[in-house]
Amino acid sequence: MNTAPALAQLLRAVQPLPVNTSISEVAECFLQAVHSSFLSLPLVDEDGRPAGLVSRYALQNIFMQRFGRDLWGNKPVSEVMNPQPLLVCLDTSLEEAARQITAQLQSPIRDDFMLIDAQGRYCGLGTVLDVLKAMESRVGQRNRVLRQALVDLKESQVQLVQSEKMASLGQMVAGVAHELNTPLGYVTNNVQLLRELSLPLLQLATAQAELADCLADPSCDEPRLAAALDSAATSRAQAAPELLAEDLQQLFADTGYGLGQIAELVVGLKDFARLDRAMSEQVDLNDCIRSALLIARNNLKDKAEVLQQLGELPAIACAPSQINQVLLNLLNNAAQAIDGFGRIQVKTWAEADYVLISIEDSGRGMSAEVQKRIFDPFFTTKPVGEGTGLGLSISFKIIQDHGGTIRVASVLGRGTRFVLRLPRRQADQLKRSA
Amino acid sequence: MSERIRILFVDDEERILRSLALQFRREYEVLTESDPRRALERLKSETVHVLVSDQRMPGMTGAELLAAAQQIAPQTLRILLTGYSDLDAAVAALNNGGIFRYLTKPWDAQEMAFTLRQAGELALRQVPATAAMLESPVPAETALKLLLLDDDPQTLAVVAEFCVTGGHRLLRAANLTEALQFLNHESIDLLVSDLNLAGENTVPLLKTLARLHPRLLSLVVTPFQDTQALLKLINEAQIFRYLPKPIRKGLFDKGLQAAAAQAVLLRSQSAAQVQRLPVAPRDEPERERVGSLLGMLGRLRERLSA
Repeated sequence: MNTAPALAQLLRAVQPLPVNTSISEVAECFLQAVHSSFLSLPLVDEDGRPAGLVSRYALQNIFMQRFGRDLWGNKPVSEVMNPQPLLVCLDTSLEEAARQITAQLQSPIRDDFMLIDAQGRYCGLGTVLDVLKAMESRVGQRNRVLRQALVDLKESQVQLVQSEKMASLGQMVAGVAHELNTPLGYVTNNVQLLRELSLPLLQLATAQAELADCLADPSCDEPRLAAALDSAATSRAQAAPELLAEDLQQLFADTGYGLGQIAELVVGLKDFARLDRAMSEQVDLNDCIRSALLIARNNLKDKAEVLQQLGELPAIACAPSQINQVLLNLLNNAAQAIDGFGRIQVKTWAEADYVLISIEDSGRGMSAEVQKRIFDPFFTTKPVGEGTGLGLSISFKIIQDHGGTIRVASVLGRGTRFVLRLPRRQADQLKRSA
Repeated sequence: MSERIRILFVDDEERILRSLALQFRREYEVLTESDPRRALERLKSETVHVLVSDQRMPGMTGAELLAAAQQIAPQTLRILLTGYSDLDAAVAALNNGGIFRYLTKPWDAQEMAFTLRQAGELALRQVPATAAMLESPVPAETALKLLLLDDDPQTLAVVAEFCVTGGHRLLRAANLTEALQFLNHESIDLLVSDLNLAGENTVPLLKTLARLHPRLLSLVVTPFQDTQALLKLINEAQIFRYLPKPIRKGLFDKGLQAAAAQAVLLRSQSAAQVQRLPVAPRDEPERERVGSLLGMLGRLRERLSA
């Protein structure tokens, strides 16, 4: 930042006095209106270099003495000047100038300071008051910028949390949509097969009805009966109902099962992604776990065997959709930590005041350094583009807002275990988390 | 009577297997396995013409199964049947498993029947080629012609080195018109192409060549990561490799070596044996474009039918 003009704006073009000016003459100068706002006047040598500052304060001291003017009036001012005045180079930044001035400031303030150019020549006078005003206006400006930055930051944080939510929701929806394709695949195919298989059966029914008509009709002649008998026999051979019976039963059973699976997934999705973020009084966390496992199934099934040890839990007050989000996040992380095929163990149990959930994987595990940072926003071990680095930090906040804790234990090469601890009773109103 | 075609379906969902078995048991000898490891054991001891595998199974992915199957029984036609649109899986299934088709669940009964009919037809024509044959280095005297349709200097560097080392001829086309000229007048063995050449889409050309010139092997290099597009390139252009940009030299080089070995093998086979049977493009404008490209490649067609 180029701050050189900052000091130039503070420069007061005060005509400097030669060092041999008499004290009386200097006193006259102080009385001139143009100099009324200065505490001191500048003195320079023949080369225009600063020689010192003479302060109003010093002169007052002299003139207040008895016979002061008579004793001192004709003496050169160099005898009472401050020979080491504060010199500030014009291209110094405002902050640096302020620092230098503060360092030399005396109480009461007696002197101004001299502004010099790069060659050390006198340029003008500066006053402490002007520097203070300039600093204040700058601080005010900075404050406004900072306030705006804070507003922007809060906004983008909300957006980030929202995008993490959308990302995990999107991942979940895509997962379930894919999961639906398996039952949908065989149900669709089975319905097509059932249609094909039913055609010969319908033909057989028609042929047999024809035959029955023939038999019931006394006027039916031999050739017609023979044809009807023949047609019924052929249809029967083609339809092979005895062989078909088992296939049909199997097809109906599988189709029914598949539709059940589809319904279960759709219900699971609905339960899981309850749009209300509200608190609910009576939540069995085991239901949340089952729901999260159903939703995460497509991410888990080719990565790990899931072992559930769900103990009996008292119903607790919590926001189930938020807890689901945490559980899904932990389960997906567990699956991603596993190379090849592993094991994920989900346990729940109750203690006197708390309900606990443990999710343990047999994955890569984490080093102590990584463990320290996993709850930090934007920390991620995943490649760029995968994962926002917000999953665990949001999970942490959700559990914290529930008055609970989330803890991690991990051993490199052995696996990782997360333990969630939620109070059986909410101490106070659940804070709305992001 | 001709040999009965044996199809092995592998899926961890038994109901999928039952449904497929019921659909196809009259036309084919249908085998099913819900465990991919048992499926591989079976391939070692039995003849299987067509292998259809799911992607997500506990213990082994479909892409892994198909890659292992290619080593055990290279003449078996491999098809991936998956409910997941997963780019990595599709790339692995193509590059390591050399799949004939990528089908999605839920599948269309007619389309599945048609695909299996085509696969069975091709399988019967194939001369059993052993994995060893495919992996043996290209004989030094076999100079191939490679046409490059990509102005990326990184691609060029790898391709140029491959051609110099292998003694192959490198031809470069700056646009589609030039590419068509080369194809009409030179007998090209390998094609390395971006999906975009000087602002033109090369996909219709790749699809045209798959129908017209089954001995030509296409390697696609592209910065785009689109599962749907890759699926179409597999089914409709029957590309040999799909390599995402930025190019990884080792992988690209391995692909080029494999393509060269395959091209040499194809040279030794009859026209009937090398036939490819790509799926016709679904997209109407693209189908028209393929039609007009077929016309523009008249010289190539004449030469191939001669």
